[in-house]
Amino acid sequence: MTLIISLLSGALVYAVSVMYAGIGETFSERAGIMNLGVEGIMLMGAVTGYMTAVSTQNLALAFLVVLFTGAVLGLVFAFLTVTLQSDQTVCGMAMLTFGTGLSGFLGKNVAGVAANLKFENIAIPFLSDIPVIGPILFQQNLLVYAMYFIVPIAMFYIYRTRYGLKLRALGENPAVLDAGGENVFAMRYGYIIFGSVMMAISGACVSLGSTNFWSSGMTAGKGWIAFALVAFSSWNPLYLTLGALLFGFISCLGSTLQIYLPNVPTEIYSALPYVATVIAFILATGNFRKKHTAQPESLAVPYDRESR
Amino acid sequence: MKKKVISVLVAATMVVSLFTACGSTSKDSAAADKTKTEDTAEASDKEAKDVSDLVIGEIEYAVVEDGGWAQAMHESMLAACKNLGIDTEKNLLTAEEIAEEDPSLIESTIEEMVDNGADIIFGCSTGYGAVLAEMQEEYPDVVFAQYENDIYENVVEFQIRGYEGEFLAGYLSALMNTESNQFGFCASMDEASVRTALNSYALGAKYGNPDATVQVLWADSWYDLDVEGQNAKTLIDNGIKYMGMEASSPAVPQTCEQNGAFCIGYNINMQPSAPKAVLTSFTWNFAPIFEEIMQQTADGTIKIDTDYYEGGDCAKLADFNADLVPADVQAKVNELKDKIASGEVSVYAGELKDDQGNVLVEEGQVMSDEDILAQDFFVSNVTGGKK
Repeated sequence: MTLIISLLSGALVYAVSVMYAGIGETFSERAGIMNLGVEGIMLMGAVTGYMTAVSTQNLALAFLVVLFTGAVLGLVFAFLTVTLQSDQTVCGMAMLTFGTGLSGFLGKNVAGVAANLKFENIAIPFLSDIPVIGPILFQQNLLVYAMYFIVPIAMFYIYRTRYGLKLRALGENPAVLDAGGENVFAMRYGYIIFGSVMMAISGACVSLGSTNFWSSGMTAGKGWIAFALVAFSSWNPLYLTLGALLFGFISCLGSTLQIYLPNVPTEIYSALPYVATVIAFILATGNFRKKHTAQPESLAVPYDRESR
Repeated sequence: MKKKVISVLVAATMVVSLFTACGSTSKDSAAADKTKTEDTAEASDKEAKDVSDLVIGEIEYAVVEDGGWAQAMHESMLAACKNLGIDTEKNLLTAEEIAEEDPSLIESTIEEMVDNGADIIFGCSTGYGAVLAEMQEEYPDVVFAQYENDIYENVVEFQIRGYEGEFLAGYLSALMNTESNQFGFCASMDEASVRTALNSYALGAKYGNPDATVQVLWADSWYDLDVEGQNAKTLIDNGIKYMGMEASSPAVPQTCEQNGAFCIGYNINMQPSAPKAVLTSFTWNFAPIFEEIMQQTADGTIKIDTDYYEGGDCAKLADFNADLVPADVQAKVNELKDKIASGEVSVYAGELKDDQGNVLVEEGQVMSDEDILAQDFFVSNVTGGKK
């Protein structure tokens, strides 16, 4: 039983660390902007948060710096893609290399330095005493708990509010919103910055959450997994949660199976997450199920008033 | 639209593969071709110069703050330079993130170093050897040194008997673990250097406790924080309290700390990252070797076919965590270290069996260096070794 608990709680921690970025990217793409720089922004969030933690020993301040970093990078990306209408693929790649390189450079002085300051696991009274579920769901850190609220709020926002309706329209056909008197540019700026802030929090999950250190490039591809999960989940935060949990579960499954099924080559376990992804991808977005995917119609298309 | 999405996916795949390529470069057993050079390895006829005037080139595969291999190398380099009075600001040229599978990049890096007056160029990860050997012919006045074992005749090669340190680590764990015979090990990829770390840890544990068994869990990655941490957690949930590791991040020590278990760090001193869990760390100390190469280059007495394969202080453990390791245990480990140095204890001594029951070394014999370097076995008390 302890093994199942550790497996599921490992999966949850893994899932949350990619879900912030995934939900951020979902909002960004719903608004019609594809941000390929997830990994770079995550690393920037991870390093600035960790640097602040080391130098000030103040976790709240570190978290604010993470948010601020995300916002600044989001603003830059929004300026490039919305105001200048540059190609989003190129800008995303630029963001990626910029973030990866700059974070490595900034972090030189804190690499290998222990902050000993992170989001500690807090057991919630009563709830954490529930057998099995308690230790899995209610002995986690604040970033995980916050996610319990973010997913339903995001779902409600996108599908049940007037703003959500506009957000969906923004990604499908921004000209309609424009004709309706909405400020397309301001809205896109807002969602890009929100998305980027969420990506930076994902970085904080890595450097100030489950593990507590900085090393260059430490997110090791999580940004790409988050990016892939968005399409995988059909731009739906709830499916994104399921996808992230599935991916986290299978990633962590290897260690348990190595003990109980020692005769299976471990490389098979390492390949499982990717096999599962391919299968789930086919089931979720395959043509045999739907005529068209949920991909926003105007994704990655800059909005230009003149050519509407 | 479809085209665009496809092009994005293609671009993304390319970038991902680029990163994976970089990530997996660390210590693969690069099957470098044996270049046969007619160069008879004679002492270079360069005039002697003051050692503090030497210009040193250092080629690293990662950034030097990687918290792992490159950092261990770089710290050794800094220590060696400091001892010899070499100004590291001015005379140490460090090139980071030089991909091992990019010969043109390695070449241009070397050329730039030579242009800047480098007297010695150190290739600090496997995989530079072939290019270094080639460039030596072009620049015979420069001494080339490579982390490798006896492949090239015109390159100084150096390695460390890391198994001595890992053996001590296993022994320390056995002395500390008075409650059970079970030990854990978090390994990265299945490769000779990793097997060496695992096997010598297991042998060390057995030396301290004849009934010791070591359960290994593989991450199958050189760097994966989540899997490394999960492996440590799984070992702990199986009742294992003491473990060794061969991984580049502090994820294992930090998981141990959160769950009241203990481990031996790897590559660099990991005690700051998890002060309540790290008993000591296995570290790579190349400084004595580097110092000797530098001094001999300055004197003009260096022989470029030299191979270093050093133990002793090169493969020692970092300082013990005084809060966790009692003084008598520290003394016992140090005593064993001296016994290894004097040859009284040999790590791979017979009778030694693998996990399938085959005899690897007969009673009264010791394993040859080649077999130690190219380990393709797991010793008998390892469970979970690859088939």
